[in-house]
Amino acid sequence: MNNDSIKIGVYICHCGVNISQTVDVERVAERVKRNPLVVVSRTYKFMCSDPGQELIRKDIQELGLNRVVVAACSPQMHELTFRNNCERAGLNRYLLQIANIREQCSWVHDDIELATIKATSLVNAAIKRVAKQIPLTPLKAKINPDTLIIGGGIAGIQAALDIAESGRNVYLVEKESTIGGQMAKFDKTFPTLDCAACILTPKMVSVSHRKNIKLLTLSEVEDVRGYIGNFKVKIRKKSRYVIEKCTSCGECAKVCPVKVPNAFDHFLKDRTAIHKLFPQAIPNTYVIDKQERPPCIETCPIRQEAAGYIALIREGRFEAAAKLIRNRNPLAIVCGRICYHPCETACNRGFVDKPLAIQQLKRFAMDWALKNNGINEPPEISEEKDIKVAIIGSGPAGLVCAFDLRLKGYKVTVFEQHSVIGGMLAVGIPEYRLPKSLLNMEIEMMKKMGVDFKVNSKFGEDFTIDTLTKDGYKAIFLAIGAHKGIKMDIPGEELDGVITGVEFLRKVNLGIKQYIGKHVAVIGGGNTAIDAARTAIRLGAEKVSILYRRSKMEMPASPEEIKDAEDEGVLISYLTAPVEVIGKNGKVTHLKCIRMQLGEPDSSGRRRPIPVPDSEYIVEFDQVIVAISQTPDLSCIQHNSNYRLNISKYGTLEVNSDTLQTNVPFIFAGGDVVLGPATVIAAMGMGRRAAESIDKYLNNEPLINYKTHMPAREIIRAESFKPHSYAKTYSEIEKIERVEIPKRDPSIRKFDFKEVDIGLSEKEAIYEASRCLNCGVCVECLECVKVCEPGAINHNMKDEVVEVDVGQIIVSTGYNLFDASLLYQYGYGKLENIYNSLEFERILNSTGPTGGKILLKNGKEPRAIGIIHCVGSRDQNFNKYCSRVCCMYAMKFAHLIKDRTSAEVYQFYIDMRAYGKGYEEFYSRILNEGVNVIRGKVAEVVQREITNGESILVIKCEDTLIGKYREVPVDMVILCNAIEPSTDTAKLGRLLGISRSPDGFFLERHPKLDPFSTPNDGIYIAGCAQGPKDIPDTVAQASGAAAKVLSLISKGEIEIDPIIAKVNEELCSGCRICNILCPYNAIEFIEEKKVSFVNDALCKGCGTCVAACPAGAITGQGFTDEQIYSEIEGLLEI
Amino acid sequence: MEYTYYPGCSLHSVNKQYDKSCKAVFEKLDIKLNELEDWNCCGATFYMSVDEITSLSIAARNLALAEKSKNDLMAPCSSCFTVLSKTNRFLRRHEELHKNINSILQSIGLEYNLSVRVRHPLDILVNDVGFELIRMKVKHPLTGLRIANYYGCQIVRPEKGFDDRENPVTMDKLFEMLDADSVYFPVKVKCCGAMSMITAEDVALKLIYEILNTAIENDADLIVTTCPLCQMNLEAYQDKVNKKFQTNLRIPIYYFTQVLGVALGIDDEKLGINNNFYISEKLREISRAPMLTTIYDGPTDELKRRQIK
Repeated sequence: MNNDSIKIGVYICHCGVNISQTVDVERVAERVKRNPLVVVSRTYKFMCSDPGQELIRKDIQELGLNRVVVAACSPQMHELTFRNNCERAGLNRYLLQIANIREQCSWVHDDIELATIKATSLVNAAIKRVAKQIPLTPLKAKINPDTLIIGGGIAGIQAALDIAESGRNVYLVEKESTIGGQMAKFDKTFPTLDCAACILTPKMVSVSHRKNIKLLTLSEVEDVRGYIGNFKVKIRKKSRYVIEKCTSCGECAKVCPVKVPNAFDHFLKDRTAIHKLFPQAIPNTYVIDKQERPPCIETCPIRQEAAGYIALIREGRFEAAAKLIRNRNPLAIVCGRICYHPCETACNRGFVDKPLAIQQLKRFAMDWALKNNGINEPPEISEEKDIKVAIIGSGPAGLVCAFDLRLKGYKVTVFEQHSVIGGMLAVGIPEYRLPKSLLNMEIEMMKKMGVDFKVNSKFGEDFTIDTLTKDGYKAIFLAIGAHKGIKMDIPGEELDGVITGVEFLRKVNLGIKQYIGKHVAVIGGGNTAIDAARTAIRLGAEKVSILYRRSKMEMPASPEEIKDAEDEGVLISYLTAPVEVIGKNGKVTHLKCIRMQLGEPDSSGRRRPIPVPDSEYIVEFDQVIVAISQTPDLSCIQHNSNYRLNISKYGTLEVNSDTLQTNVPFIFAGGDVVLGPATVIAAMGMGRRAAESIDKYLNNEPLINYKTHMPAREIIRAESFKPHSYAKTYSEIEKIERVEIPKRDPSIRKFDFKEVDIGLSEKEAIYEASRCLNCGVCVECLECVKVCEPGAINHNMKDEVVEVDVGQIIVSTGYNLFDASLLYQYGYGKLENIYNSLEFERILNSTGPTGGKILLKNGKEPRAIGIIHCVGSRDQNFNKYCSRVCCMYAMKFAHLIKDRTSAEVYQFYIDMRAYGKGYEEFYSRILNEGVNVIRGKVAEVVQREITNGESILVIKCEDTLIGKYREVPVDMVILCNAIEPSTDTAKLGRLLGISRSPDGFFLERHPKLDPFSTPNDGIYIAGCAQGPKDIPDTVAQASGAAAKVLSLISKGEIEIDPIIAKVNEELCSGCRICNILCPYNAIEFIEEKKVSFVNDALCKGCGTCVAACPAGAITGQGFTDEQIYSEIEGLLEI
Repeated sequence: MEYTYYPGCSLHSVNKQYDKSCKAVFEKLDIKLNELEDWNCCGATFYMSVDEITSLSIAARNLALAEKSKNDLMAPCSSCFTVLSKTNRFLRRHEELHKNINSILQSIGLEYNLSVRVRHPLDILVNDVGFELIRMKVKHPLTGLRIANYYGCQIVRPEKGFDDRENPVTMDKLFEMLDADSVYFPVKVKCCGAMSMITAEDVALKLIYEILNTAIENDADLIVTTCPLCQMNLEAYQDKVNKKFQTNLRIPIYYFTQVLGVALGIDDEKLGINNNFYISEKLREISRAPMLTTIYDGPTDELKRRQIK
């Protein structure tokens, strides 16, 4: 810039006497005139006034000034004024520089001489700087006319209505299931004693009716990006599980079996899992409280709703429980007897005392159904499909697969090699554990459903895969189980009297006669060995010994089974294994065994058994049953030359672990044939998954996104958790004894095959079901679905994340109360009948826990009530500020108490703050009603027993007006807790990038002149989120914020100060240090050019990147190095 | 673990039971107590208001002597504890004062370098020794005993020490661990009247009355204290209180080390219980019950149930 063309005008303000009293402004004006670039140097009493401004304008026009320096107050006061003034005179507004000689000079110094010298330096610095300044153009950004309001209390509601009235769109986001905020909890409001609901609900209803207000309840803001006029916001809508069809009839709440304390009533009253927070909730639909799913449901491979039927049993609704079970489980009666119950292992009650006896409860429900209803009718089948599916094997995997596919309408045929149906259930498990008559009832039900069973059909002999495909079967599920007993591979095994466990049991179950020895050895440690041993006893063996090669701890059989066996007289020898079978005349007579010891763990994690050298011994046995595991018999599969199925190294069928498809696309497999010998329920889970897979396959859908459950989810549990958010922690819950499972007397039962377990009685079942903790609140009993006429309940809803584009955001997130238990002298949380203000509002409210009556915990009316002001407010230890509304609502409480009871009322205050319209009159009113006001801080509240043995509370305080210490006996104490910013304030502040003041409330731009805006353009605050206030002030502030929003929308676009950073692409080396440092995420990296780029609209001109750039490639416009150096030069010259 | 033991005047005279029981308890827990050689009177609480320099010098002499060993200094008497702690604090905060006092000490050949930690036995038992170690040695769980834990005002005030100033819980938790019930006792840190029993009897009697009455109202079997002056005030003037307030209050007052000693199986004689004015029958029963032969498991669930009620 050519120095000759710079013409600077310098204007020094007296500011009345504010500046001129300490700084000799005339002298300064004279001194700075020496600078050759200064054309004119004037002083004036009030530069910011109209004549002052005109002075500058005239000089610009007449003297041709092209730079202006104003030496006056802080730029924060009038920089904008002077810039506008320059613009009016035709000069670019950024060719102005302010020297602050008031706040930074005259106001902080006393010595006139030194102050004047300092002022001269400051003005000189400004002069040198302004010479280097160049014209800048502000940027323009368009304003999106939609607005987001976060928080649906009275502030949010009012702002939404005001903005919507203008025709503009509003998104109103509220984290609870209804709008209304804290005000919805109140009974009456001061000073008019309007009923809160009466004045609030019409506004709430308006919100729901306005088409241009999009109401998002049960929603939270997750991410905010962008800048004023152009925000992109991600909002998570949590699942309500109830859709808009809900008519709010309330039938569902009547049948819901789970109750938890209601947070809206501040935990003074219970509500059901499906609920509405209060009768006038908007949206006027119910909502289901579903927290983390109960572990019993999550671990079950077929996702049986255990928690659901347990809750129904607890309520005595046995028929509903049985129906719920049957809906999902065709083998419910079987599971109730023999399932290995992973649900019990996962049960959270185990953290308190012992897990629930869930299996027994299931058995109880099904037995009750059998007794009272006959056989359950099968569930309804959806439309019939003309597609045939073949299931090979009628074990648990095959049966569940058949059930699920048949429900979907497919034509299902089950092929079974034996004459009886059920796989291991029929030929493996003994009668005394699972009566075959019960199994047959379940199979009859499936036949009723239309499942076709073909018995005596052996795969590979009577039919093959080729014949099936020829017969029109479009898919096959192979579930032939693992029925081949593994051999010991020791000499003598082929002698008569040696038999595998599975073969032994199969013969018994099929009614085939066989040899039973007198001294029977059973080799093995699993449930098959136990079954074989107990069966042998029942068939007349005199002595039955189980020989297991590891110790009791490693034995795989369930502890209950082991105990049952021992009770019946079975002997168990540990750490021993046979090495040779010794016989005479081809028949077994002895077993040579060797002692074992435990070595290092093997691949299963159990310690390896190692023979102890020279420890052989011989025992007399005339029958040896070998039950050391089974393997699938895959010989039948080799018969299919067209289809070669892959077999794993363990001898099982290979399948994809998610889809259960084999290497042949239309053949699926599951159960023991894939897993090796496993459990009934695991096989059932696979059957269920296979059915879903086959359904997808037959509909040409991709085999992804499964709804079924297999394998069951891994549950992460920690002892410090609770079953749900309103419960006590596990260590605090009272312990209750688990019910004892009744069994028949062992000395009698070992002689017959009748059932060993007796089953629980009704009383025992209800007792045990009452121990359930209702983990996750909603237990999915599905009773609500049954009674919902409009069909508005959807338990499978998922959270939804929506993204909205808005121009401006209003934050009205309200308040929470100070936790009074921190002031333990007042006994809150320890002593009874001490309430905080919101709790007392609920007590006063007719929809609250006492129906609007003021009662003590024991139901009696209080004789005297004490109200304590300033609990946590005006307190050096907690909140220093005054909460503004407490004096008034305390008086309101006093009045209502006097109105509804005959109790004496005492109010303990420090100052009475009754500043608003009608407030002082209200104060006089309550004084006239005879309320006792005591000026003094309360020291403590203690409990005392009086002469007749009852407990009262005593408030100890000082009465400063009479100068005495007082102890006031009362029945109830109400605390006026401080109003604190709501718990999400910190998180929301970080998301939006807005600051908070030291007390935690959001920071306003100016406490007097602009309490609605934040220093962040485009984001406003209203209501108690900004600071404690009453309802009239909240509504006023909300409308004010709305007005600000509308004015900007009306303008349509906004100017952004060009004091921002700019990257010189030629100098930029692409190191990206600035990208990371920018606190506003305003710098992007352009891949193609390998340089950084500053987003004009997001940059706030903080200068961090300018300083950090190692290449010096970034300049701050309006703050270039040249300008700053000149300024420093100017300071040092004088 | 080893500690230097500062009994103070009252433990060697009127309140010998505290001295006996304190020593017995720590011996049982295998902790060595070495009595401070040639200790002198700490000056008691009031002297500091009368003549600061002299009182600090007297107290500092004990600290200088204690500094010779590296161990913490245990002061069972609450007044001694407060005086010695305050001395430590003043000397640490004010360098001038420290120099002054040191010059006085130097005239008798001593010097104090601010390294001694003054501790109360309650603090040591709960925080240094710990519940686990104590649990191992329990022979008589205090099941069913209802205790009013009276801390007095000096061990947790004026500055924050090892427990809260308004609602300390160290002693409550100690006895709950031994399966006793710590009753609701809001006056646990209210002054007992201290020396004003001598100078303003009316005031002191009223304070004593409130403490005794609250304990009895809440069904306590006995009050445990940590201070010899509190113990004396609460115990020795029950008749005077009854006369003044027309009441019939009677409740045994024990040192916490005596009750702890019973739980550890030490016999009454060693704990000086026979020197107490009023004996608690319930505690005596507990001390006469057969000793545990297995290791004490900790408080029963019964206790939780009793507390919830």
